[in-house]
Amino acid sequence: MNLGVIGCNTMGLMHCQMAENAGLKVVACGDISRDNARKAARKFGAEAVGDCVALCNRDDVDVVAVCTPTPTHTEYIQAAAGAGKHVFCEKPLGRTLETIDEALAAVERAGVKLYVGHVVRFFQEFEAMKARIDAGKIGNVGFVKTYRGGIFPGGKLGWFSDWNMSGGVTLDTIVHDMDWLRYVFGDPERIFAQNLKRVFSERIDYALVTMRMKCGTICNIVGTWAHPSGFRVKVDICGERGMVTFDSSEAPVSAQLRLGAGSGPSTIVPASPVLVSPYQLEWEDFAGWLAGTRKPRVTPEDGRWAVRMALAALESAETGQPVEFN
Amino acid sequence: MAKIGVMSFAHMHALSYAACLNELPEAELRAVWDDDAARGQEQAAAFGTTFVADLDAFLALDLDGVIIASENVKHREMVERAAAAGKWILCEKPLAPTVEDCRAMVAACQTAGVGLGTAFPCRYIPSVMAVKDELDKGVYGEIYAASCTNNGQFPGGWFARQALSGGGATMDHTVHVADLLRWMLNREFTRVYCENGRLLRPGIDVDDVGSLHMEMEGGVIVSHIASWNRAASFPTWGDVTLELIGEKGVVSVDAFNQKLHVYDDAGMRAAWDYWGGNPDLGLVRGFVAAVDARREPDITGVDGMKAVEVTVAAYASAKSHHMVAIG
Repeated sequence: MNLGVIGCNTMGLMHCQMAENAGLKVVACGDISRDNARKAARKFGAEAVGDCVALCNRDDVDVVAVCTPTPTHTEYIQAAAGAGKHVFCEKPLGRTLETIDEALAAVERAGVKLYVGHVVRFFQEFEAMKARIDAGKIGNVGFVKTYRGGIFPGGKLGWFSDWNMSGGVTLDTIVHDMDWLRYVFGDPERIFAQNLKRVFSERIDYALVTMRMKCGTICNIVGTWAHPSGFRVKVDICGERGMVTFDSSEAPVSAQLRLGAGSGPSTIVPASPVLVSPYQLEWEDFAGWLAGTRKPRVTPEDGRWAVRMALAALESAETGQPVEFN
Repeated sequence: MAKIGVMSFAHMHALSYAACLNELPEAELRAVWDDDAARGQEQAAAFGTTFVADLDAFLALDLDGVIIASENVKHREMVERAAAAGKWILCEKPLAPTVEDCRAMVAACQTAGVGLGTAFPCRYIPSVMAVKDELDKGVYGEIYAASCTNNGQFPGGWFARQALSGGGATMDHTVHVADLLRWMLNREFTRVYCENGRLLRPGIDVDDVGSLHMEMEGGVIVSHIASWNRAASFPTWGDVTLELIGEKGVVSVDAFNQKLHVYDDAGMRAAWDYWGGNPDLGLVRGFVAAVDARREPDITGVDGMKAVEVTVAAYASAKSHHMVAIG
């Protein structure tokens, strides 16, 4: 299978590598920045393309990976599906449910496969937690608290700080947790949220969310783009017969570089190396689905649900009242 | 020397308060009364003081003040009796299950001309005091948001019986943090949303998990978890944590994270042994000083009532699934 990637910044480059690790071949690298496209193409021995819609129409492309800013996802999915290509789309699937529905309809019409990059489902620690829950090791789970985030994301184009594009920490970051919680505990009943959009201009966002699942479980989700540095994930899962907790600050490697005189203190960088990247695992899952050897762990409907939860959280933060899911 | 009596050992915190009274040179644990005579006798003996079975006789003693640590629903009557007898009062939190009770208690103490304090020892945790000091100095600038927890192991007993507690974890474990935020940020709460339920202990008749979202004056947003969600095998009783997001930085407090990791083969269990300063000592010392000076304690009955207003509104929200006004 040949891959064409659209969007050749950090995530695009990473997905190219992971897709190749999973057996795909990168043949075309598209980016509205020619320079970005050329750099990526050189790295993977592919062709640089400036017109990303044209990339979708190339005969040598079987699969398109969409790794662009959120609001552009759905138009590229439509272009790829229209050209009969399978699509991998970075999360979140889209910026609005309307554009997502149009894209899903295009995918359906074309009979192609769409995979959404909810990679947390493949993180080893989250897999281990889910396995314990599913095995009933801690009994019925009544409460979960997740915490995710750190520094305000950079991004070459600065689009994360444009609320209308990124949707802030809620749509961009804790959409991961919303997806994982629904994956483990089923559909939500109701969501309530608060956020700091009012100081977004200061490059600070902080989201406080409570989601009540249909099964009764209460999930509290905290997302931060408010910290001056770092990135941290914490999970607290409480059951009738025990608990499971995770904290990414407890990592096996902790490095600190000795910088030159006068350059001030360096930052401690924790690392938790794994044998296989969860991003590669998600590409193997997609590749297996494309080959017809397995069912995908993330469906297009899952991708739509994740955005639906995040948008409901944003709506709740706006109105000050919960949003019910019917 | 302030002569202090303890009324009821129903709440386990009474054990610590009694120990503090014995430790403080400026205080004397003069007598114990308890509506459970066996429990009262046992604790009076343990702390080397006298047990008095009759409440009138106890209140007729030459006591300057009393510490009340009964079941929540009994606070009001005991406070009213002690106030009428002219005693200074430190009452266990929550001050009472209802705002109406709190109001009556505050009024009774005003009428009697005695001081009423609420037992919020968290204000005396060294890490909390240090951060409060920094906040006052403006180190973090304006505070925009807070994410907090007061998790605990299941306390069992009367705590889990609505008729004696008046509410579950949402009531038991919201008031400490509500009080801390009012004190540290110097603002009142305005609105609350709450999801809660009996999710971990099927046999009880109160909630054991509450997830609250509050707003404070000036638009500060707050998430708080009030729960009895810690496993029985958890290495400690629970936690008090706050993460504050400010204009100039963020600060996180994990108030009891001064701990030894203890691995004891005798019990075949790992445990966290808190070695930090005892907050109850600060609380009791403050109360004794107020008794001595015949002034209002630093943490007042009104502070206790303000925290109860949050929990009462939280229960209303949990029922209606709407964000509701506080107070």
